[in-house]
Amino acid sequence: MHDIIKVENLSKSYGQLKAVTNLSFNVKKGTVFGLLGANGAGKSTTIECILGTKPMESGTVSILGSNPKANRKELFQKVGVQFQEANYQENIRVGELCEVTSSLYKNATDYRTLLKKFGIADKSKTLVKELSGGQKQRLFIILALIPNPEVVFLDELTTGLDARARRDVWQILKELKGQGLTILLTSHFMDEVEKLCDEICILKKGNSVFYGTVEDAIAVSPYDKFEEAYLWYTDEEVSENENI
Amino acid sequence: MKTFSTMLKTEIKLSLRGIDMFIFAICMPIVVLVVLGIIYGTNPAFIDADYTFLEQSFGAIATIAICAGGVMGLPLVISDYRSKHILKRFKVTPVKPTIILLVQVTIYALYSLVSLITLFTVATAFFNFRMQGSIYQFILGWLLVMISIFSIGMMVGGISKNSKVAGIIASLLYFPMLIFSGATLPYEVMPSAMQKIVDILPLTQGIKILKSATLGLPVANAILPIIIMIVITIICSIIAIKFFKWE
Repeated sequence: MHDIIKVENLSKSYGQLKAVTNLSFNVKKGTVFGLLGANGAGKSTTIECILGTKPMESGTVSILGSNPKANRKELFQKVGVQFQEANYQENIRVGELCEVTSSLYKNATDYRTLLKKFGIADKSKTLVKELSGGQKQRLFIILALIPNPEVVFLDELTTGLDARARRDVWQILKELKGQGLTILLTSHFMDEVEKLCDEICILKKGNSVFYGTVEDAIAVSPYDKFEEAYLWYTDEEVSENENI
Repeated sequence: MKTFSTMLKTEIKLSLRGIDMFIFAICMPIVVLVVLGIIYGTNPAFIDADYTFLEQSFGAIATIAICAGGVMGLPLVISDYRSKHILKRFKVTPVKPTIILLVQVTIYALYSLVSLITLFTVATAFFNFRMQGSIYQFILGWLLVMISIFSIGMMVGGISKNSKVAGIIASLLYFPMLIFSGATLPYEVMPSAMQKIVDILPLTQGIKILKSATLGLPVANAILPIIIMIVITIICSIIAIKFFKWE
């Protein structure tokens, strides 16, 4: 049970396009794992294959020691998920969405506490579609935390948040991590990854090009800043220059 | 159970916020009832008939809400929740996405029930309406028509590629059935050639069952429509379950 998430040789393609090839990694209890890579590198596909919302072609996956497809009913009592796109009903209010989400779980946290913690307690009666981008993002993190999960999946954690809100979210996640929560996240912000992640995996066109700690990633690369090292791994710098 | 009741409460609020179902399933049947009541008053359905025109039409009007919910509301909400990935979100929770479909079916059944009760009340209070046949037979028939029409809606919502396709198919089913099956424009005033054509519509058959039950006509009269409705239910349910698209 030490490894909360185990992924072995995960592969998935869409027709001819190989989205993820032979990916393996483990996430230990109480750690934050970052799945990095450019848009289209296979991050979301990986998350969906792990969660079982997309079928994988080969490989094995386990979350909290069980197979997410076979054991979904018990497993998802303890797993929180925030998807990249928003999925909510047209005219639903913040409080209603939280209330319905709470009703799905046996040991749901009081969502009002979470709304307060994330600074949107006054928005309970607001329509979700009328929230600003940052407020929405905070709400979706809250929805992932409502089950009182042992592990959360956060796809593009702080996209759309302003500098202050990002720092607040980091702080909250660090606290939760301190309490034993395991987190798998994807992010495009390298400062965030450095602050939060114990281990990372960098994907390039569905292949793992680095797997280890942020420090190791810098050490192996010719650079001394993580963002530059990341770009070196993903070759984004080169391709950007080509575009000019 | 907690999940179902919380979700039902919220989805009812969302549905009422959308207002269209309130108009098409609750208000519209009353308007049709009152208009027919004013035009035909409490006159007998035909010379020497022992039931009034309105009694003859009651079953038909009671299907307006079923038709609105079944072939308009259900397909639209299902395809909408699929394209918004709401069904998908349930796949990463302990409950299955089927629960939200069940909630929606319950909501449209409630609309139909509320419509039936208001129609019964208004017709009895203002137009001397009397259920000539057995109320139990009527309720059984009403349930069969509802299940059958809802199964059509589940099939359309379940297999349509996207909300746009679902919307087009729903309109193609809803408007002809609303106008020509006898739900609004009484079947009895149509020329017999037209009656033969509109007999194709599933709702026309359903209305025959309810008319027969309201007027206390022999069950044998309704046997063919009953068989047709059951067959429709079976076929549509099988297709819906087999080919349902969750994403």
